[in-house]
This record gives sequence, C-alpha cells and structure tokens, in this order.
Amino acid sequence: MRHFVVVGILIILVSVLLYIGLDAAELLPVAASAQATPIDWMWNIQVIAMCILFAIIAVPMFYSLVVFRRRKGETGDGMHFEGNTSLEIAWSSIPLVIVVVFAYLGAVNLSDTLRRDPSATIIKVTGIQWSWKFEYPADPETGVVVISDELHLPVGKQVLLRMTSSDVIHSFWVPEFRVKQDLVPGRFTELTITPTLEGNYKVSCAELCGTSHYFMVKPVVISSQEEFEVWLAEQLIIAIDLGKTPEGQGQLLVSQNGCAACHSINGAVGIGPTWFGLFGSDVELTDGSTVIADEAFITESIRNPEAKIVAGFETQKMVQYTFTDEEIAAIVAYIKTLK
Amino acid sequence: MTHTHEKSSMLSQGVLIFIYLTVLTGLEFFVAITFNSVPLLVVMALVKAALVLYYYMHIYQLNAEHEGDHDSYEYKAGTNRIGLWLFLVSDSFVFGGLMVMRLNLLGMTRPHLNQNLGLFVTAVLLISSFFMNRGETQLRNGNRKGFLQNTMITIILGLFFLLGVVIVEWHTIAPIAEAILHLFGEPAGVEPLKPSSGVAGAAFFMMTGMHAFHVLTGLIFLAIVWVNGKRGLYDEKQYPVEAAAVYWHFVDVVWIFFYPALYLIGTAIG
Amino acid sequence: MNNNPLRKAFLFLVVAGAVGYGLGLGLDFLVAGNLNFSGSVASAFTLLFSFTAFFYGLYGYRGITRGLVWQVEGTLIGAFLITGIRAAMGATPIFGAFFFSEPAWVFGALSGVLSFIFGVGIMDDWIKWARGIDTPKYHEDEPGWEKYFSVSLDHKVIGIQYTVTALFLIAIGGTFALIFRTELAASQLQFLTTTFRLFNQTGPQLYNTLMSLHGILMIISILLGVSGIINYAVPFLVGAHDMAFPRMNAFAYWVAVPASVLMLMSLVLGGFDTGWTGYPPLSSRAPVGMQMFFLGVFTAGWSSILGALNVIATVLRMRAKGMTAMRLPIFVWAGIATSIIALTATQLIGLSFQLVMFQRLFGMGFFDATKGGNPVLFQHLFWFYSHPAVYVFVLPGLGIISELLPVFVRKPLFGYRWIAMSSLGIALVGFVVWAHHMFTSGMNEYLRVPFMYSTMLVAVPTGVKFFSWVATLWGGKIELPTPMLFVLGAIFIFLLGGITGPPNAMVAVDLHLHDTYWVVGHFHDTIFGGFVYPFFAAIYFWFPKATGRRMSELWGKVHFWLMTPSFLVLTFGMMFIGLRGMRRRIADYDVALGFDTTHLILTIAGYLIALSVLIFFINFFYSIKNGEKAEGNVWNSRSPEWLVPSPMHPHNYPVPFEVVGEPYDYGLPGSKYVEFAAVKGKKH
Repeated sequence: MRHFVVVGILIILVSVLLYIGLDAAELLPVAASAQATPIDWMWNIQVIAMCILFAIIAVPMFYSLVVFRRRKGETGDGMHFEGNTSLEIAWSSIPLVIVVVFAYLGAVNLSDTLRRDPSATIIKVTGIQWSWKFEYPADPETGVVVISDELHLPVGKQVLLRMTSSDVIHSFWVPEFRVKQDLVPGRFTELTITPTLEGNYKVSCAELCGTSHYFMVKPVVISSQEEFEVWLAEQLIIAIDLGKTPEGQGQLLVSQNGCAACHSINGAVGIGPTWFGLFGSDVELTDGSTVIADEAFITESIRNPEAKIVAGFETQKMVQYTFTDEEIAAIVAYIKTLK
Repeated sequence: MTHTHEKSSMLSQGVLIFIYLTVLTGLEFFVAITFNSVPLLVVMALVKAALVLYYYMHIYQLNAEHEGDHDSYEYKAGTNRIGLWLFLVSDSFVFGGLMVMRLNLLGMTRPHLNQNLGLFVTAVLLISSFFMNRGETQLRNGNRKGFLQNTMITIILGLFFLLGVVIVEWHTIAPIAEAILHLFGEPAGVEPLKPSSGVAGAAFFMMTGMHAFHVLTGLIFLAIVWVNGKRGLYDEKQYPVEAAAVYWHFVDVVWIFFYPALYLIGTAIG
Repeated sequence: MNNNPLRKAFLFLVVAGAVGYGLGLGLDFLVAGNLNFSGSVASAFTLLFSFTAFFYGLYGYRGITRGLVWQVEGTLIGAFLITGIRAAMGATPIFGAFFFSEPAWVFGALSGVLSFIFGVGIMDDWIKWARGIDTPKYHEDEPGWEKYFSVSLDHKVIGIQYTVTALFLIAIGGTFALIFRTELAASQLQFLTTTFRLFNQTGPQLYNTLMSLHGILMIISILLGVSGIINYAVPFLVGAHDMAFPRMNAFAYWVAVPASVLMLMSLVLGGFDTGWTGYPPLSSRAPVGMQMFFLGVFTAGWSSILGALNVIATVLRMRAKGMTAMRLPIFVWAGIATSIIALTATQLIGLSFQLVMFQRLFGMGFFDATKGGNPVLFQHLFWFYSHPAVYVFVLPGLGIISELLPVFVRKPLFGYRWIAMSSLGIALVGFVVWAHHMFTSGMNEYLRVPFMYSTMLVAVPTGVKFFSWVATLWGGKIELPTPMLFVLGAIFIFLLGGITGPPNAMVAVDLHLHDTYWVVGHFHDTIFGGFVYPFFAAIYFWFPKATGRRMSELWGKVHFWLMTPSFLVLTFGMMFIGLRGMRRRIADYDVALGFDTTHLILTIAGYLIALSVLIFFINFFYSIKNGEKAEGNVWNSRSPEWLVPSPMHPHNYPVPFEVVGEPYDYGLPGSKYVEFAAVKGKKH
C-alpha cells in the first residue's frame, strides 16, 4: 500500500516539475498570427498530457527497478499475480473516453483556425522550383498586378492565400504563423492567415521539392497598413516602369519566376549556368559541340530545356515553364543586358 | 443449396452455377445499357463472385483438415490450401488498390470501349471457369481423361481471352484489332485508347494489364498441371490441380469486378 | 571461421574493385569521350565487382556468389535486349545519361533480380516439382559458416541470414546518416556544395539521395530484422520443426538481397531526391536512380508478403499438442498481428510505386495533373501501406518486450489475453489512420477530423501494453542482464515516441509540426523503442541458443550505456529544433535560426550511437567463436527452446513436447509450461 502512495506522490511531482520545465523552455517560436492562438492553446494541453502520461509510466517503472530489484543472494520469484480484469477494463475505457474528448477538442480547435473573414484579401501564391510567387490584387486604377517573390502583408487583416504549384508539390509555412498547407499542381489549395505581430519572417517550403528545397525561403514582411500600402505602391511603380521596355518586362518576369534559384546574374556558378556575359558567348554542350548563345539558343533553352544541355550541368533538370513567345523574347532581351 | 461431393451431382451443380453466372452477366449487360444503376451492378458482381467463391473455389474446404497426423498428405494439403488462400487475400489488395485508383481518377466516367467485345471476352473467361470446375471434378472422381480434356479447353479459352485483351482491346496489332472490332460492330475511325491517353487510358491499361499478367501466370500453372497430370502424377495426390483451379477461378473473380468497373459503370468519355 | 577465406575475400574485393574501376572508367571513356573519375559507371562497376568478388573469395562460385554473378549477367542481358528492341523500333535516344536508357535499366534490373533468384538456387526444388520430380523433405545443411551464404531451408539459418543482412543494411544506412549529419553540424554547406560532384550529383542532390537512402535502407533493415526474429523464434516457440513452407521462407529471404542491390544502385545512377516517400510529381521527374529505388522496394515487398504468409500458416497449422490460442507465447501473437498487416497492406506500396514507374515509362497519367491525374491519390495509396507498416516495425518488438519481461522479473506477464488482443487491436486500428500523414496535403477537407479520431484511438491498445508492462514489473524480482537493459530501454524510449504522437494527431497542431524535426524525433523514438532496442534485446537473448555461447556482458552494457544517453540527446534535440522551425529533409539551414549548436550536438550524438553499434558488431562476431560457453538454460526461462541444449538441433525438437500449463507462470510452485514426450530411459 505504501508503495502506491509513494508512487502516486512521485507521479504528481514529476508531472508538475516536467511541465514547469517545459513551459519555461520556450519551445515554440513567437506567435504572430490569430491562427496561432488556438494552436498554441492546444499545444499547451498536449504538453500537460505528455507530462502526465510520461510520469504515469516512467515513475512506477523506475520505482520498480529500484524497489523490486533482486538483491545479492536473494532467491525466489516475483509476486504471482496474472491479471486483474477490473483494472484492464479501467485502463482501457478511461483512455478511450479521454482520447475521444481530445479528438473532439481537436476538431473544435481546427475549426477555430479555419474561421474565414469574407472581406479577406485574396493573394494568389504559386510555388515554383525553388521560389515563391505572390500575386497581389490588381491595382483598381491601372489594372496592373504586382507580382513579387516576397510576401508583404498589413498587420491585423486576414488574407486568403489561394495556392497552386507549377511543377511539384510544395508547402507554405511560416513557423510564427503555425499553419501550413501544401501547394499541389493542378488544383488550388487555400490558407487563411491573420498576421498579428509586425516583423520580418520567412516563408519556407515544407515539402521536399528537389535539389534546392532547403533554399526555397523568401521574406515575409508584416507591417502597418500604411507601410504596406507604401510598399505596394512602390512595387506598382516599378512594375509599370519596367513594363515599358522589353528588357524591363524580362527583368520582372525573371524576378517573379524564381530563375535566380539556379541562374546568377553576377557570374557566380550555381545549379544552372550564369547569365552574366552569356549572350553572344560560346557555350560548350554535353555532346562536345560548341554553340553561340544567341536569341535562338536561349529561346530554345527556355521552351525546351532538355534539347541542349550545357556541359557540367547534366545532373540537373530545368523546370518546364509555360511562357508566351512575347514573354520569352522579353527575358532574352533582359539577359542581353547582363554584361 | 449446399455443396455436394457426389460426382454426377457435382457436375450438374457446376452446370447450374454456370447458368446462374451467365444469366447474371446478361442481366448486367442489360442493366448497364438501359438504366445504368450502379448499386444494382455492384450487387450483381458480388453475387457472381460469391457463387464462384463458394461453388467453384469451394472456400468452405478451407479449414477442413484441421486435425490429424501432421505428416499425412491430407494435412499437408490442408496447410497448402491455407497458404494459397492467404496468397489470394494478399493479391486481392492489389486489385482493390487498382479499383480505388479507377474510382478516384475516373469516378462515374469510364473509358470508351466496345461493349460487344467486352461481353464476349467476359463470356469466354466465365466459360473457361466452367470447364475448369468440370475438369477438377472429373479428376476428383478418378477420370484422368476427362480432367485432361476439360483442362485443355480451359487453357484454350484462357488463351483466347488473353489474346482478345492484349491484341484487340489494346490494339497492339492494328490490322487484326481493327478487323475484329469491326466484327463486333465498332464504327470505323474511332481513335483507339492508348496508355498515355489521359487517366482513362492509364486506368484501363493498368487494370487490364495486371489482370492479363495473372491470366498468363494462371495459364502457365495450368499447362504445368496438364503435362504432369497426363503422366498420372495427380491421380492420387490431387492438391496441385485444386490449387491451379482455385487460382484460375480467382482470376475470374477479379474480372467479375473489373468488367463492370471498366465497361459498364458510368458514362463513356473520349 | 578460420582467417583464410576472410583474407582471401578481402583480397579479391580489393583486386576486383580495382579491375572494375578500370573497366568502368574505360567503358565510360569509350562512350562519353572523357575520363569521369568520380562518375557513375566507374563506381557502379567497382561496387558490383568488389562485392561479388568478396563472396567469391570467401566461399567460391555458389550460393550468393552465383546469385550475384547471375544478377549482373541478367541485368546486362535484359538491358541490352530492351536497347535492341528500342533501336529496332526506331526509338530515340537509344542510350541514356547512364549508358542504358531508363526502360533498359528498369527491365534490366528486373531481369537481374529474377536471374539472382535462379542463380542462388532457391528455385531448384520448385522447378523439379514443375517437371514432376519429387524432392526430399529435408535438405541437410553443410556444417559450419558456409551454410549462411547458400540456400538453407532451416528457419534458424534463415532467421540469422535475415538478421545479419539487416545489421549490414543498418551499417550502410547509418553511415549515410553520419555523412549528412556531418554536413548538417554547422549551417552553410561545407562539403556537399553546389560545385561538389560525385556519382553525377551535385552536393545538395547527393544530400537528398543519402537522406532518402538512409530512410529506405533503415526501413528495409527493420523489415528484414523483424522477419529475422520472427523466422528464428516462431517455429520453435510453437513447437514446430520448421515453418509451414521452408522453401518459400528461403525465397522470401533471398529475394531481399537483389532488392538491396537495386536500392544501393540508385546511388550511382543519379540518385533520387524525393525521400523514401517518393511523391510524384517530383518522383516522376527524378533521375534513373528513382526507378532503382522503386523496383528495389517493390521486390523487397515480396519478401515481406511471403514471409508473413508463412508465419500465419505456420501458427495455424504447425503448433504442438496442447498449444491453444491462449497458451501461445505472446511473441507469437505479435507475429500474427504483424503478419496480417504485412500480408495485405504491403501490396499497396507496391502498387503506388508501380503506378509511378509506369507513369515514367509509358506516360500513363495517374498522378500527372496535366493529364487529369491526381497527385494526392499517390499519397492515399502509399500511406495506406506505410502507416500500417510502422506497426509491422514495432509490433514484433513490443512482443519481444512482453516475451522477455516475465523471464527477468520472475512473475507472470500481466494480462496476457489483453496484451495478445492489443496487438491485434493495434494492427486493425492501424489500417484506418493513414491520412494523418496527409493533413496538409490538400485532400478532401472532411477527411481530416475522422482520421484524427481514428488516430487517437490507437492510443488505447498501446496504453494497454504500457500499463501491463508496468504491472508486470511491479512486485517482481528484477535482474538486469543486457537483454533486460534493452527491454527497459525499449519501454522508456517507446514511451517517448508514444506520448509525442498525440500532438501530431491534433490536426491544427500538426499544421505546425508536419515536415519538421519534431516528427523526425517522434519516429526515431518509436522506431528505436519499438524495433531497435527490442532487436538488440532479442539478439543478446537468443544468441546463446543459436551459438551455444554468450555475448560479452560487459560490452553489452557498454553498448547500452553509450547508446541510450546519446540517443536521448539526439531525439530531444531534434524535437526541440523542430518545434522552433527546423524543417525536415533540408541540406542546409539559416544561421539566423540559431540551431547551429544543437545540430553540432546532434551530429556528435549520432557518432556516439554509431560507436555503440560498432561495439555491438565486434561483440557479436567475436562471441560466435570466443564467447563464454552457454549450452543450457542461460536465462532460466520456461520457454521450450531453453529446455533443450544449445545450439539447437536442426529440426528443433527431436522429442516433441506437449503444452500442459501457462507460459508465464513464473513463481507458481510445481507449474510447468511444456512436458516433453517420455523417451525410454531418459528424463527431462
């Protein structure tokens, strides 16, 4: 009997101490979204549950190892009892009830994170190997759409991300926002986020998507409504300005479609050949031949990446883009400027 | 009605079950062409499968030899029987997975296929099961010659089915395929289905391909059993014949589900 | 084993490796026109030649050597055949990035596997049966170590073959982990950089390949290890002389060898960057190595399925007299539950991989959105196996815990019936939880909550086990030799794995946890606790039964006390950084995250774990011939295999036994579990 009392006290002690320790440890990043609140609440419940469950099993186990250890010279066997049906029923049915309650709480919790604000801004997100493409709502006056590889949002307002992928499965995740959602080619998935804390965060791809999955990280900036509008207006001006010339359009397209993940513009060697000084230069291919990197070559390389592969880059497959002829011409024009 | 062991009544029972299967198949065809009721088609497939499982595959024999001398032939055959059925349970999961794939990708649509040809190959396979059952029963009753004849018919019909699918349905030898399709009333100029023809092509070729692979291995099994049976190896120790027959009927059961899934359920696309 | 064959083997390995390297280099030069020193062809030849030559030097041209030689021949013949057919059909290009085109590699690899099976000799009896020729009931094995390298029909030999192969794959998979853990020890790419090239892969590509191979090699080693213990123990636990189908047992083992070769080949055929989960569309555009992975796993699946079939048939049909269901050893119940899953669900991973393979080869659009396909369908099919698979991984280990506890606490297993049923319960519930791996996948919204309920439900039968184990320990007379240390370590670590499960089950919380190192920590806990520790426990426990000698107690304790704290540091460290934002499967991480120190600690922990495993290997192999003699009932167990001398007789029990009591009635005076048949003049 005394054993049970001691064990009981130890279980309570261990649970409490463990919880205090874990609670103080700052296990989660700062919470920066409205969706994080219910999630962190449920996480806390889970931590309590983990501490209690750990104690319930580990304490009697270690207690037994100490108290019921065979001492030197002791012969004989352990206490002979084979089972206890009431105990079995108890420790089957009580956990059953508990898990059902937990699952119910989890369902409520989930719906808390999915609450939609009908006036939420819709931002279209496209995942590309290995960059992010964020399309903001069209400017009401000019109709121009700002497309950026950075996500800027005003604090306190819900946004609805409508997401898809142009190649393989990616996943949108900002740890401080907690929620995560895959981007699947051929369909749209949605994520509701209400940023609550201004700051600079990062969105990382959370579904293995190939060679540079580790590098598919872009800035997420949460600022006040005014700062956000200023940023958007700046982007709009850049888009309109650049849009006036083919080279500018090309530069826009390049920054929006993640080409920099593989191609540098400053001569650095990456996954793909650098564009610095590319146009007009001699290029050696994997079959040993040499070609000149003119409009035709670059155009073909974008339309049909497998046609001619530059020597030294045969291990990596380039993404198949679906640009129009004009867009490709603009990109070529831009590449021409990189000397 | 329960199973029976007496020879002539087993033979007539085999005929009776075959008649039920034929009627149900005809009914399926009719239902599909007229009011296309999916629940009804599913029920009919289940009934056909149950008939084959019980009467042709004699699933009730599964744990019959559960006592006795572990070293006796009967006991060891009983162990082998359990082994075979465990294998069939496992294999069913492949076909189940293929069904899930078809339902997920095609839903209430189906590939465009020639209905008459579909009914024909289905009939050929069902008839082959009839003769397989007949052959197995003959051997059980000591008639080696009857066993060999009926098994040979099974093999020929099975080969017919295989070629019907692989050459005609798959359009691998275009002149033959077109000639036969024309015979079955297919209008000229219809684009044949290819494996890369979207999800309908993918599902069709994978399902019929996996099934055809099992038909092929079944035929090889039957051929081996026929050759050895001719030499008198199975006059006493008959389990290998039972195994080949059960495997063959399993292949038939799979088709009992694949036939409506590919040919009958849903609206044709493409 | 005397040193000469081993020395000869290593000599042959080195020489053949050099020859292979030269040959490969030359061939590559002829085709590609340049000397690719770190290229795939040279490496592939080196590996194949050296591996095959090792066995030839060890053992001669038979058994595994012949199997491997035939595999190489079969691969080449198959690949050239397809190349010829494609050339005749006018297909271009005729050759591919790795000499053969992808269809040629796939067909060649398949043909290689089949050739191996014929070459090693497992088909011989069946071919005879097909030709109507009878074969003897028993095949006597040659004495000594040679029998482990050929086809043996003895389940004990097969069990050891499985176990040693599993240990071999653990060593390779573990080495791969050490390589990428070394890279991860600090932020920024140190050696797996974008300019680094090996086996036609850049550094990050190689990272992805090594990480993926670590995953699948460990998983296959678990399946083989599980088959190892089950095959070794189940027949003598139920009183049978062998498994129901000895030849199929041998086949199931031997098919795993060429399967492993295929998986290893993926490394040199461009690797694959998808993780062991192989999701399309990424897997439909990965290099040829992807197909080697798919086919390797597909083939290894046959091993799992056929092995499971054998176990179920054996337990149903080959039990000793008096062994009713409720008097089966508890490990046998675990084996049954495991086998039910392995028999059925495994087909689905085969199917899912087959569909991607065919999508790549024939353009069949199962998972290609541009053809109307559904990428998420793959995930449903894949996880329908891969979740129950984790119960295949842990149910046997949990069965080992239940089986060994009574022996070392000298009292009955608490609640035997409930524990037996809990194994079945876990197996059954395990079939309906798969989509908890897909909460973020974009699958139908309404599926998420039901799968949360079903996932939480698994906690109930699992809880029954934990409570029963505690109740078994309670009031015992506990001894702590090495097997018991690993049993206790298993319980503790599996507990950590178990309690870190429910946060993942809560959908909203999982949105944060999915694809982070939290999950990596969770599953390393469940796997170490549910398989690795019980596996070691089983080996330390049954080693005397297999060899008649004991492994060193001292070094066993060193193994345990080095591995356990290191592992705990590893798993807590992983969970810690996972919660704070460390994603899975990434070659590098931002220094601003502040994870550098933790990663360094994780890497050091990994090396210490590896050291402890090395100590185990040395102990294991050394003790076979030099361990302390132990030919009797070393653990004072009631189980029948310990009531006959060690090593075990080839047919287990020359004198059969009958079950006359409960298996775990330790401490009940005068009680017996089994009674051997009376033999004139002998007493047992």
